Amino acid sequence: MQSPQDKSYSLWHKLFGDPIRAFGVVSLLFLMSLAIAPAKNHFSEWRHYQKSYLRMIRGRGDAVTLQRHFRGGIQQMWLPELGAVDRCTTCHVGQKEASLVDVSTQPYRRHPVIPHSSDQFGCVICHRGQGAATTVEEAHRSTLAWEQPLVPTRYIESSCGQCHRASFAGTPQLNQGRALLTRFGCVHCHTVKLPDGSTMNATDDPPPLSHIADKTTREWIFAWLKDPRAYAASATMPNFLLKDEDARDISAFLIANSTPVRDDTIPISSAAQKSAPDPQAGASVYGESFCASCHAVQNAAGNLVGGDIGPELTRVGSKVKPEWLQAWIRNPRIYDPRTAMSHYRFNDQQADVLTGFLSSKTDSDLLANVHLDPATPEQIAHGKTLVTEYGCASCHEISGIKKPERFAPELTRIGSKPISLLIFIPGMQHTLPDYIVNKIKQPRAFGTGLKMPQYNFNPAQVDALTTALLSFTDQAQTMPAALTVPAMAVSNYQPAGKAGQLMNDLACFSCHTINGRGGDMAPDLTLEGSAVQRKWLDDFLKNPNTLRPALIRRMPKFNLTDAEIATLSDYIMTVYQTPAFDRDSMPESGYSSSQVEQGRQLFYSKYACQSCHIIDPKIDKGYIGPTLTQVGSRLNAAWIYRWLRNPQALRPGTTEPNRNMSEEDARALTAFMMSQKGSGKQEAKKR
Amino acid sequence: MAKTAAEYFENLRESRVWRSIFRSGTGTSTLHRSLAIQQNIFLHLFSTKVRRRMLNFSATWYLGTLTFGTFVILVVTGILLMLYYHPSVPQAYADTKDLQFVVSSGLFLRNLDRWSAHAMVLLVFAHMFKVFYRGAYRPPREFNWVIGVVLLLLTLLLSYTGYLLPWDQLAFWAITVGSNIASAVPLLGNKIHFLLLGGNLVNANALLRFYVLHCMILPLAAFFFIGIHFWRIRKDGGLYTQQSEPAAVRPQPVGKEAQ
Repeated sequence: MQSPQDKSYSLWHKLFGDPIRAFGVVSLLFLMSLAIAPAKNHFSEWRHYQKSYLRMIRGRGDAVTLQRHFRGGIQQMWLPELGAVDRCTTCHVGQKEASLVDVSTQPYRRHPVIPHSSDQFGCVICHRGQGAATTVEEAHRSTLAWEQPLVPTRYIESSCGQCHRASFAGTPQLNQGRALLTRFGCVHCHTVKLPDGSTMNATDDPPPLSHIADKTTREWIFAWLKDPRAYAASATMPNFLLKDEDARDISAFLIANSTPVRDDTIPISSAAQKSAPDPQAGASVYGESFCASCHAVQNAAGNLVGGDIGPELTRVGSKVKPEWLQAWIRNPRIYDPRTAMSHYRFNDQQADVLTGFLSSKTDSDLLANVHLDPATPEQIAHGKTLVTEYGCASCHEISGIKKPERFAPELTRIGSKPISLLIFIPGMQHTLPDYIVNKIKQPRAFGTGLKMPQYNFNPAQVDALTTALLSFTDQAQTMPAALTVPAMAVSNYQPAGKAGQLMNDLACFSCHTINGRGGDMAPDLTLEGSAVQRKWLDDFLKNPNTLRPALIRRMPKFNLTDAEIATLSDYIMTVYQTPAFDRDSMPESGYSSSQVEQGRQLFYSKYACQSCHIIDPKIDKGYIGPTLTQVGSRLNAAWIYRWLRNPQALRPGTTEPNRNMSEEDARALTAFMMSQKGSGKQEAKKR
Repeated sequence: MAKTAAEYFENLRESRVWRSIFRSGTGTSTLHRSLAIQQNIFLHLFSTKVRRRMLNFSATWYLGTLTFGTFVILVVTGILLMLYYHPSVPQAYADTKDLQFVVSSGLFLRNLDRWSAHAMVLLVFAHMFKVFYRGAYRPPREFNWVIGVVLLLLTLLLSYTGYLLPWDQLAFWAITVGSNIASAVPLLGNKIHFLLLGGNLVNANALLRFYVLHCMILPLAAFFFIGIHFWRIRKDGGLYTQQSEPAAVRPQPVGKEAQ
């Protein structure tokens, strides 16, 4: 009987004992191993998917059509301009088949309807991943030889941002993210160079700290540094997680470093001190001046009510000194020449009442536990070191400290950062989106000695920010200009002369846009001179009233003098005109009553304008557009005519639809509009 | 009576076409056999006679032949790869990807080239160790040892130049490091570095240079020296025999006892 060892020996001998036989056996083995290559090719993943696709469509009603559309073999989209070779459709066979709407299994799902054709942009431009790959793993995930995995669908809008540089309606998440980057001042420290060569600018307007001792106390600074959100729920300043000693030293330095400004404090008059602040009168001045259009106050339920252009005022009495507040209310530009706040022309009594009203908005808890001993020179010196180290001057103007350059890593191409260059914290997924999310959520968790402060974003905001950051890719930087939708150029428009000074003083640009510069709260005034009648403008500046019934906010009353109104009106009527037509080309009155009547018919029947506008407050219910009861005394006939013919030509993006009106209809409607001069009662009230 | 296969072959050897190609003619005498070797451009590189025991595995472990075998594989696969490859930036990397994803058996081809290259380096070293420890480098074979050293260098250079061609990160940094080592040569270092890369950095010029070296210059040089190497084996009296070895270290061939 043979032992197993003998057996294996005799097998060995049988196969390799004789050189010729050994040669034969080795050749056979070699041939078999060679056959593996074509076999692997034959059993490749994409062939499997194409076969099971054909099996899937066989039983369907639309099998013939689908069969006809099907092309076997490797499919690719070659886009030389974008440097893309996308073979995704090799497996995603039915992505263009509208009739596969019921199929939910990948890779056969139909692609949702999008405004772009995949023939023009391919797949990888939006979804990332490796387009050239023909295996599932290589195409979708990050490997050693390809570092760009698919971008998760929740951040897919980031891909839109590579070409669409202006915000647009299709990408709310991206728009929000971009707005947050500027609104929360991320771009003060992190440079973001946009593909068009410009640099992203912050819109948070952090206050200068060079004269802060005039404005507030060291105790308040301490409390604010410890936790900005304890003072204001809407604070955009993040929490630097400072130790008590550090907050003490920074506050000591800021107070010691502050220099006084002449006239930025006004001693509270004894009369004002004596009379207790009248909350009723204060609230009414606050309301009449439409402070709430820009400033928010927390109501009893804890919700913020008001705008977000200026700081929240819920606890302002615990922050600012009354002497400073009074001077600020009278003329904010003395303390901060670049403030977004308007210079209201308050009279003494109004200023007193408003100061008292705001000073009474205190929170006794805020500073209750803050007890600071007088600062020592060492503390002040240490505070200065801290201010430099934490890059406070990146956002705030602080005298004696230069704004640091490149304080934080540049984020211009963060969306293409290879994973191998990232440092992850234990327990997190090793992907770029997860890295960004966690960096935003817990920046200090990534190591010791990190300076990035703690923000307080909700999950939707974090996703929005991540989306915006992921859009800053290499591809966005190199995208051919012909394929991009450029952002609106940042305008530095500055009106000239006395009117220009006045407009700066009143901070018109905080709400109105003119020639591309300014806010979006109030109407664009670029063509205002062509639109309105001079008399109406004068009256409006004297006593602004709202034109739109649905709006609570309206332009505040600045108490302008007649001379100031004349300056502004002259400038607006002369400069802000469209070259497209002459505003005096049509008469303001003298339209025949038949034409007016024809216009009325058109208004109520053919065009049903009352759906959005009000002519007769008793019958009409439209509140989407402005009220037209006095439109005949407000707008020029030529403007109304042009507006009716093509509203978008005068104001791109306006809600008013283009009704393709005939010349005759437009003339009749213009006549009808011009007949709406408003009731005498309102005219009288205005005066 | 049916002809045997040997008779058919004999007839073929006597045909005019055969005779026009192989000049030595038929016959099985020693003279005819040696003429058959000597009058063939390929075969005349080899010894006319080989001792049977030198063909045993134990004598050489076939290391030289295996090395040449990998070289042949490399030439064949290399030529096939050249059909799919552009030595340009960044197309080189895309071509490497295409070999992986869309060329039929392209990945197999590429891997065969890569692994054969590794095997060849390994085999060259093994061959040299075998020759060294058997003492086969001794006169009159010392010149062939020198040729062998040249072939070792050519093999290493082929391997090194081929490393850059996929144009990936690994390649880029390997060549960056490797070429910086060259620049450590005293006085001429930076010139050599510049000459090697066609610039100061690893870029398109370096890729092209390495491509030409890898696919043209070095293989031709290798062919040239391999030819000399083989020819010298014959001139130096065939494969080194064991008789000159000290008896104490003479290994007994495995399996000899069984016969």
